[in-house]
Amino acid sequence: MRAALSRDNVRAGLIGGVTVLYLALVGMIERFQDRDVITDVIGLGTLLILIGLAGTGYMASRPPKPRPGRKPVTANPALIGLVAGTTAGVLAGAVILILELLISAGVDVRSVLASVTPGMLSTMEFGLGPVGGALILVGLGAALGAGAGALRLLSDQLRDTVTFTLTAVLLMSLMEPILSAVLDGLSLPDRWLYEGGGLTVLGAVLTVVAAGAGRWFWKEREPQRKEAVALLPADRRTLYRKLAVFAAVAFLVVLPWLVGSFISDVLGTVGLYVLLGLGLNIVVGYAGLLDLGYVAFFAVGAYATGVLTSPASYLVREEGQLFAEKGLTNFWVALPFVVLIAVIIGILIGAPVLRLRGDYLAIVTLGFGEIIRTLVLSDWLAPYLGGAQGLLNVPPPPPEALDLRAPQNVYYLILVFCGIAAFVAWRLSDSRIGRAWAAMREDESVAEAMGVSIIRYKLLAFAMGAGVGSLGGVFFAAKIGSIFPNSFGLLVSINVLSVIILGGLGSIPGVIVGSAVLVGLPELLREFAEFRLLIYGAILVAIMILRPEGLVPNKRRQRELHARDAEAELSVIVTDEATS
Amino acid sequence: MTEQQAPILDLASVSAAYGPVRALEEVSLEVRTGEIVCLLGSNAAGKSTTLRTILGMTRAHAGEIVFDGERIERLSTQEIVSRGLTMVPENRRLFGKMTVRENLAIGANLRKDKAAIQADVDRVFGLFPRLKERISQKAGTLSGGEQQMLAIGRALTASPKVLLMDEPSMGLAPILVEQVFDTIKEINAQGVTILLVEQNAHVALSIADRGYVLQTGRIVLADTAKALLEHPNLSDAYLGELE
Repeated sequence: MRAALSRDNVRAGLIGGVTVLYLALVGMIERFQDRDVITDVIGLGTLLILIGLAGTGYMASRPPKPRPGRKPVTANPALIGLVAGTTAGVLAGAVILILELLISAGVDVRSVLASVTPGMLSTMEFGLGPVGGALILVGLGAALGAGAGALRLLSDQLRDTVTFTLTAVLLMSLMEPILSAVLDGLSLPDRWLYEGGGLTVLGAVLTVVAAGAGRWFWKEREPQRKEAVALLPADRRTLYRKLAVFAAVAFLVVLPWLVGSFISDVLGTVGLYVLLGLGLNIVVGYAGLLDLGYVAFFAVGAYATGVLTSPASYLVREEGQLFAEKGLTNFWVALPFVVLIAVIIGILIGAPVLRLRGDYLAIVTLGFGEIIRTLVLSDWLAPYLGGAQGLLNVPPPPPEALDLRAPQNVYYLILVFCGIAAFVAWRLSDSRIGRAWAAMREDESVAEAMGVSIIRYKLLAFAMGAGVGSLGGVFFAAKIGSIFPNSFGLLVSINVLSVIILGGLGSIPGVIVGSAVLVGLPELLREFAEFRLLIYGAILVAIMILRPEGLVPNKRRQRELHARDAEAELSVIVTDEATS
Repeated sequence: MTEQQAPILDLASVSAAYGPVRALEEVSLEVRTGEIVCLLGSNAAGKSTTLRTILGMTRAHAGEIVFDGERIERLSTQEIVSRGLTMVPENRRLFGKMTVRENLAIGANLRKDKAAIQADVDRVFGLFPRLKERISQKAGTLSGGEQQMLAIGRALTASPKVLLMDEPSMGLAPILVEQVFDTIKEINAQGVTILLVEQNAHVALSIADRGYVLQTGRIVLADTAKALLEHPNLSDAYLGELE
């Protein structure tokens, strides 16, 4: 018990308590309470409190990282969790109680802390009043902290199953908009699963049973499965891999018809970010050139499309007869020119920054991104690009019969080009060019000494990145139909960079997962839009600390990080031997 | 091996500078086909700069560099490498996250003829059978000796006529140093001319035909390896604290 009462564990508890209070005081818990996880049983706000308290215990009871020259302190993880969780609960309960006391003493707390509403307090108190609420926070902190700590005592398989099952319930609930739309789309009943925006009790129980049992058996059979896969003849394995790819493609093809037009629209936006991410991944992930002005190519793609095809643009309006007669304002005719323009601009932006590395390159590209945005906003180019009014009436891609502006159809359009871009990126990564980029990324001067032409490969990376990224702009224009300068701010560059870092630099599946998480999820949780950037930031910080290689890491990078862990452990062993 | 031949690599009064700092002053040296020539000197004498200047990574602001009958001091590194000059860099500097195979492929990145590349890769594996066993392993996970093998192998897959080696003995255990120098002799016997930069003067001179001594950017001594080995105060006078 004494080992568990260490300063580290109390501090972890204080951090957990502050986190829960912070979420309450910014209003997140009250807002989230509007959404039910399990209808009439538990709301998302309450769940946040519970996750905060349990998470405190879980994080505090993490096995200590080996450090050279220091013997790890061993204590029962359940006790550690108990200490940390109780501390968090006491802190949260005390602050809530103090707030209640201040309010009853007539202090206008809300003039300072606007989110201290009766609703928030009642959620924090679980509807039990000030004293009961404080006590239940302490009690829950102790119970959840100890329970989460006790998870560490379970076998890996069991712990994995428990956390997977709880996550599955949360995800099932959060996916309610999609899944109920899917069920509707299939004209299946959904009342048994969802009600009033959350899971029904039956739905929750079914999820627990299905996810728990499924995960348990999946893990149980893992060794046999791996063995069976290893025993498969090579041609069989490629056949299965092809079947899996085919199934994934088939799923993506039927998806929009299952989920309806609103979610198809969201999927289209996710697809745009996949295109942008694949492009930036070439520049940052493959070639290692940190580009903070990537929005430039998104803007170039969108504006070039508008200028070449919109009847509102100067080019089409004034010289338009000739253009239109020759069919040059056709979207499909314009497309290769747009990409070509973007490639040229990519080279133009790349050329002056060839000598720069790392931070310097990042700052200069940041500047270029802003220059492009300022240019499209400028009065100077307003006659051609529309200035602040933007370019309107960008026609949808022909033929009209296909109605390529309906969300589902745009989705297919984007899907096809994502497929092409992903294929190109995949082939590139494993080619002579990809190898040269990898060498350049690791050690530029040695790569140069080996005869890798740094100038050529850097320009090639900028050009390819620009070309792929401009496709994002092209379909953005095609999808929305009007282009405004404020769609091309710095935030787009940051978002795309976040997408590829979250997914895992240099990883193509990572780009897709990253886009789905950072672009798709916020669209589905629109009711919480005011907290979007807060959550976004928290996710990025958490991923960078817990899983720096990204969600779906590129193998090369992952191995490197693991090699480092192994090295660290080795050095500990060595120093331990030396000190003992 | 010291039969008189026209030099394959010839530096005439080459000067180079990093900004205002003069690094090389009128360095002249020649390497003849089939030779092992070593370039000695203490820290910061300009040994590595000489190699960088030959490869065009640092620009010579005066003087001429002739390789295989052609002026190269204005060519790009890429053009110079493709003409048959390659370097084994100081401290090996492998691409640690890439596999042995990929590292070798980078060495051959300017060549197109797959069969010829494969022949050179096989030659590397003949010299270093250990590399073949580790072909899919990350270069960063190899032992120090194996890394030096790979650094040499990476340069050999460029099929160089002249190999520039920057301190191949640095950071290696004495037994490995001996192995590396045996390998250098073997590579030389296979027809690759070698310009070797070393601080380890004794070992380098023991396998070299001729040697030059650099001091603060100037050549101060040039002679056969034998004569340099017998030079009374080579170490004290020119190589600083070494030995």
